[in-house]
Amino acid sequence: MSYQEKNITVSLVSYLLIAGYYLVNLLQMLREGELVANKLFGLCTIVILATIIVNIIASILTNIVLTIVEAIKAQKYEEPRFIADERDQSIELKGIHSSYITFSLGVLVSVLTFAFGQPPLVMVSMIVFFAILAEIIGDIAQIYLYRRGF
Amino acid sequence: MDKRQVRNNIRKLRFHNNEMTQEQLAEKVGVTRQTIIAIEGAKYSPSLELAFRIALVFGVPLGDVFSYDAEDDFNQPIDKIS
Repeated sequence: MSYQEKNITVSLVSYLLIAGYYLVNLLQMLREGELVANKLFGLCTIVILATIIVNIIASILTNIVLTIVEAIKAQKYEEPRFIADERDQSIELKGIHSSYITFSLGVLVSVLTFAFGQPPLVMVSMIVFFAILAEIIGDIAQIYLYRRGF
Repeated sequence: MDKRQVRNNIRKLRFHNNEMTQEQLAEKVGVTRQTIIAIEGAKYSPSLELAFRIALVFGVPLGDVFSYDAEDDFNQPIDKIS
């Protein structure tokens, strides 16, 4: 597994955890009938901040851990070669493409639920969910391309 | 159309160049070993620049490293060739 694959896997796991946290809290709100604006926006803020912070921390930790593991394997410190070459960039581009398609369809579905009479808060909660789902799909697409070769 | 029409002799050329490893070739051309594996397996077609860099490492013309099997393309109208 290459450095990029490991990094994407860490990102995927963090997005899955964030999605899980979001869904659990959202379903709890729905079950208790407390889907109100201030609670939902509070949850959205936590999720957005967590997405940014967790990804930055996960990326830094992955770099540190991989450098240590590589040094232990080689029995000496070597300058890590975490380069992203043209194939990595192509795969990243395809992953972003998958993310955008997922998010676009998600926004369309969310707006349609609003058009068919659901409250705006349902639309907002769905858009946030599809934003996280889009990232997950993008990461899965990248891992799939790496595993397949391209 | 078969997507894997760009064929290559990288494995053979590596063997004839002091059994150069994929890692060594990757370092010389500035890509990862995974990219060299994908190119050798004809799963990824490199950019023209990378193809030239690989040919330069082996000191052979580009045509000796990569070949394009265009046989199927010549049998169909030009507008069908993608």
